[in-house]
Amino acid sequence: MKNIEVPALARVEGEGGLFIGLQDGKAVEIRLDIYEPPRFFEGFLVGRFLQEVPDITARICGICPVAYQMSAAYALERALGVTIHPQARALRRLMYCGEYIESHALHIYLLQAPDMLGVQSALELAATAPDVVKNALRLKKIGNNLLKAIGGRSVHPVNVCVGGFYRWPKAADLKALLPDLEWGLAASIECAKWAATLPYPDLEIDYEFVALHHPNEYGVIEGEVLSSKGRVLTIPEYENGYIEEHVKHSNALHSHTVDGSTYLVGPLARLNLNNQQLSPAAKQALKDTGVELPLKNPYKSLLARAIELVHFYEEAIQLINAYKPEGRSYVSLKLKAGEGTGATEAPRGLLYHRYKIDDQGLVTFAKITPPTAQNLPRIEADLFALAPKIVEMPHEEATLTAEHLVRAYDPCISCATHFLKLKVENV
Amino acid sequence: MSQITIIGIGQSFRGDDAVGLEAVRRWRDEFNETASRPEVQVEGCELPGLGLLDLFEGADSVLLVDAVQSGARVGTIHRIGPEELLAFSADSNSAHGWGVAETLGLARQLGLTLPPIHLIGVEAGQMDLGAGLSPEVEEMLPAVCMLIEEFAQKNLR
Repeated sequence: MKNIEVPALARVEGEGGLFIGLQDGKAVEIRLDIYEPPRFFEGFLVGRFLQEVPDITARICGICPVAYQMSAAYALERALGVTIHPQARALRRLMYCGEYIESHALHIYLLQAPDMLGVQSALELAATAPDVVKNALRLKKIGNNLLKAIGGRSVHPVNVCVGGFYRWPKAADLKALLPDLEWGLAASIECAKWAATLPYPDLEIDYEFVALHHPNEYGVIEGEVLSSKGRVLTIPEYENGYIEEHVKHSNALHSHTVDGSTYLVGPLARLNLNNQQLSPAAKQALKDTGVELPLKNPYKSLLARAIELVHFYEEAIQLINAYKPEGRSYVSLKLKAGEGTGATEAPRGLLYHRYKIDDQGLVTFAKITPPTAQNLPRIEADLFALAPKIVEMPHEEATLTAEHLVRAYDPCISCATHFLKLKVENV
Repeated sequence: MSQITIIGIGQSFRGDDAVGLEAVRRWRDEFNETASRPEVQVEGCELPGLGLLDLFEGADSVLLVDAVQSGARVGTIHRIGPEELLAFSADSNSAHGWGVAETLGLARQLGLTLPPIHLIGVEAGQMDLGAGLSPEVEEMLPAVCMLIEEFAQKNLR
């Protein structure tokens, strides 16, 4: 049996390759080779003025720029000791709704569903089920339009600043989105029903789930870092529980808990830990699927995303109905030297930032822990769990099975250049 | 009056990948009279993916300016017309699996009506994190601006 090698993973955000080394029919080595840019950005940010940070870090990912902006803004606000206007906070949640809608619709229908349905790509899905894909594009576009209404444009929106927002979006522009959002809410409920019927491979893993948890809302922008093993940390304490270390084959750091174990962030973790905080329609959608929590099957991340899609559509409607911009959209900043941490839930999981700034507001230190760095050791461990099955399969099927698992995680390996360079490794 | 949309694609901080963004930015500054006409829509996108389809809405013709890698000499300008562009195969050599070719392929598969789409591609050399444009690419910016202007003039009639 040959080694399994996927030099470039399609439908994964950024660049990555997968290598599974086999010896006597057993997996002896599993490496997800990845190229990831946050490390570069950490260096690049040093010496920059704090107000530039949200827009620079947004460039780390083309799919989840808002997450990077948000974690950066909260960290720097904490460093300066400022609290933003309550309406600005609500607007940040609304903006995040747009990002979740866009990112989840893309991943559910166009990145992962083709695998579950046994077609090669979204193009093939478009040929066999054009209405499903058209629906997906519409669901996604509504998220784009929401981002555009708040951030001026849908790709790399600009408007979030340290202290709040540069300007309030016009209430009329947001309200104009309501009919589409109502359609999207209904469509996302259908999506959740459909997601529950997909043929997911059997695989149950005893994960340690980690997500932001907030008692009064679905944890996205503030709260505590909660683990299913009972560890509860405030955001500034995050590094006491979770450690990043360098791994030879990877450009990215890999994270583990202080106990040395792997853990999982992302939609499964959020749904399992925060289902009590789901919106009413999302709770109902979850109930209707008949699934029991905790969900432990990594492929069912798709289902978790579908339930979240319902939640974020419903929350977006509520937030727009309650939108009342008053006074200034940002608080004034008084520069001082300090250090601050911020964590928000990116669509792919917890995203942690820590900055040190000097008295001129210039960054002297930056640390960015993206969700995928936290999940990487877990993906590799899952591949090991899958390995006994894989080695029995014909080579092509084995490769596909491994790829499907990796894609289920929706790893945001990077948004490096938009040309994927093939890495061919000699074994 | 026909509507045109000019879209620069590329990522800042990634070497020659940014050439599409840079060229459209420069054209907008140098040919401001054209760029600010109401029937001209100018967009800069870092990683538009499927969002590209939304940007085509309302346009009678579209010009994409992007970095390409074909093996030609760095800085080479490629001009690709709508027919040729649609014939591009959609094998995924793009992050997200959703580059320009894939997006157009999907639109075609779904039978969506698209305006004629033209592409000016500039052959990229390095795409290093934190790098600017290569001198060979930078050198071509004035020529690319002229081509964008030529496209605008021709299609605004």
